Amino acid sequence: MIAIDHLSRPGRLHDVSFEARPGRVTGFLGPNGAGKTSTLRVLLGLDRARDGTALVAGRRYADWPRPLTVVGALLDGSGAHRARSARAHLRWMAASNGLPRSRVDEVLDLVGLSAEAGKRAGRFSLGMSRRLGLAAALLGDPPVLILDEPVNGLDPSGIRWMREFLRSSAGEGRTVLLSSHLMGELAGVADDVVIIDRGRVVASGTVGEVTAGHPTLEDAFLALTAGGTTW
Amino acid sequence: MVSLVHAELRKLLGLPTAWIGLVVGLVAAPALAVLNAPAARRAVADGLIRDPSDLGFQDLGIGLLGAMILGVVAVSSEFTPTGDDTPGARQLTATLLAAPRRTRLLAAKAIALSLVVAAQGLVTAVATLALTERMHGALVPPPQPGRVLAAVLYWTLLGLLAWSITLLARNGMITLAVLIVNSTVVSLSYLLTKVTPWAAYLPDIVGAHMFLRGMDVPVEIPPVTAGLVMTAWVAALIAVATLTFHRRDA
Repeated sequence: MIAIDHLSRPGRLHDVSFEARPGRVTGFLGPNGAGKTSTLRVLLGLDRARDGTALVAGRRYADWPRPLTVVGALLDGSGAHRARSARAHLRWMAASNGLPRSRVDEVLDLVGLSAEAGKRAGRFSLGMSRRLGLAAALLGDPPVLILDEPVNGLDPSGIRWMREFLRSSAGEGRTVLLSSHLMGELAGVADDVVIIDRGRVVASGTVGEVTAGHPTLEDAFLALTAGGTTW
Repeated sequence: MVSLVHAELRKLLGLPTAWIGLVVGLVAAPALAVLNAPAARRAVADGLIRDPSDLGFQDLGIGLLGAMILGVVAVSSEFTPTGDDTPGARQLTATLLAAPRRTRLLAAKAIALSLVVAAQGLVTAVATLALTERMHGALVPPPQPGRVLAAVLYWTLLGLLAWSITLLARNGMITLAVLIVNSTVVSLSYLLTKVTPWAAYLPDIVGAHMFLRGMDVPVEIPPVTAGLVMTAWVAALIAVATLTFHRRDA
């Protein structure tokens, strides 16, 4: 369960509130620069908000003693130093949260990186970096997943794999929050949708509720966020 | 806390640049002691060395480069971009996701660095002094254990000094350039002592009074005072760096 309550950050976020519930995939949609990443970074304790609260399972992220066992997060890039192998990166992360070493090979296998485990992260393709980032997010087998643009850089088979992974994670009862600026990838994956534009939440609810009155989710998104955008 | 220190040790020792620092620190001083031996012997004979007991200890200076590299790398590796595709992405994000309490994180980082640098300093000091004794024999009095420990403390504090400056600058190149030029080419602090004797209390040179006896500076600083002054400098820098690290967005 994720609860964002009246979050404000000068110039970026204006009174942002929404929830993401267990067993559901919540899509956090908005154009580039709308405040998606900013919201997620505040939620994860990386950046500060001026007002409001962002809680994961009832606590601030930084208040969890072993946060990797509660939240798995995937942000820009893999997070691995380029001189480090994928395995070495995951091993220090596991060590930091007191997770068993065996977990490293399990998650490498889960994301299909076992064969590349000894390769330096600096030599990874964008798609492989995303997989490594996801492996790190899954280390602590967390009940909450927070993913920023998870399909960026993935090839079509990777995108399909990610969709199935997200659905099955929600099926297991996990809370899944993912941000995206692309509609196509979310169709059929998200149960709930939150649309943000220029730092404000402009719509939220189930996919059916937000789409109501529009032919597709994409149409609803464009109608809600168009705001004078011209190409 | 133990698991965080363990993770930070893994991180530091998993970096190729950290190993450069480790090896440079371990090899440079003993090598210098050997290369310097004939010249040092002449200098002692000619009475140019104020205190012969300084001999091996003086050679330790060059190995401090290794401690500084380790201190810089432990922090700069957090801020290096992780890939060309994602210019804003850095290891720091993964670090803070794994350890979001920043003071605890920095404490673990500082402990991990101190352990590595102190071990490096101890091995280097013992090796350099043993070589010095072997080459100069009765010319040099046997080193006192207290002075060896003081040298290791200086070594560790200098690693932490480099660490805290890098944490403030968020960039390793600046720190490394300043510290290397200052410690090998020309010491600004040393030049300043020609202007004002107070410059002898600057963090990079005051610590040497802990274990060197015949230093060419206008003031006499007792070893314990030197240790306290340098510790205070490093503690203050760490405090400022910690405060700014807390306040800034990651």
